[in-house]
Amino acid sequence: MSMVLDAPVRADDAGLGWAAMNHDTAVPVEDPRGEDGERETELDDATLRRLFEEQALPFMDQLYAAGMRMTRNPADAADLVQETFVKAFTAFRQFQQGTNLKAWLYRILTNTFINSYRKKQRDPYQGTIDELEDWQLGGAESATASTGRSAEAEAIDHLPDSTVKDALQSIPEDFRLAVYLADVEGFAYQEIADIMKTPVGTVMSRLHRGRKLLRERLAGYARERGIQVPEKTGGKR
Amino acid sequence: MSDCGCEKAKAELEEYLHQELSEQDFQDITEHLAHCDDCSTEHLVGIALTEKMRKACREQAPAELRQAVELKLRSLTAKQ
Repeated sequence: MSMVLDAPVRADDAGLGWAAMNHDTAVPVEDPRGEDGERETELDDATLRRLFEEQALPFMDQLYAAGMRMTRNPADAADLVQETFVKAFTAFRQFQQGTNLKAWLYRILTNTFINSYRKKQRDPYQGTIDELEDWQLGGAESATASTGRSAEAEAIDHLPDSTVKDALQSIPEDFRLAVYLADVEGFAYQEIADIMKTPVGTVMSRLHRGRKLLRERLAGYARERGIQVPEKTGGKR
Repeated sequence: MSDCGCEKAKAELEEYLHQELSEQDFQDITEHLAHCDDCSTEHLVGIALTEKMRKACREQAPAELRQAVELKLRSLTAKQ
């Protein structure tokens, strides 16, 4: 958990549209040391930090969980989360109180991940994944009989958590992100579109295809464990 | 009763699950699900998938991370 943070972080890197910072509008803080402008800034920073600690740090577990699913390992997830908080804090004056802080933090997290970690990890599907046809991806169609499907719901429910995480790790990154943001975090489609910087239609398609792949993989795991899930989940409607 | 039919319901189940439908569509599909075993079972798989992911993905940030972030914030607000 060492790297990345030694260089000063600029809000621009986080894609936040950093406007000119205006110290004059800062809440006046009691300053025992008089008219020294720098001191005033310093004290105000402390207030800002307190506010940030109160409001933003409680999201650490959630951001770390998302970071785990993004980077797929604890060390990178920790680095990613730390970098996210540093960028967020640096830009925190720009954050409009009363707007959605969680979505704002996730936007920084996702940008940071895409800009620094994705390059490192090299997803082989990158850039082409949205263009693949469904048959190239495989995945479940909802054409199984409903008795088979009630068994399927049951089977999903009984799978170990690690299996679900493995399955999620195994689907292409853009799909994984969309699914994670919608299903685990409960973001609205429009919020996901803002976070991932894609149109809502793309979010819907990634979500649909991601869930389909995930469902197929989970059914596969369940079958390996001898749980009855109908083999034939293909077939076009 | 205005049953929207299986085709519409199946096409919009995912948006239904994620609460992205208009009130009217939401009502139509709710109504359809109440009368259609096939679609409501399909919907149950969707719910199971979401619920399972939500549970499985919970994590707790390591204590060292928490400390590192707090330290970092303090150093950022210290006199440069």
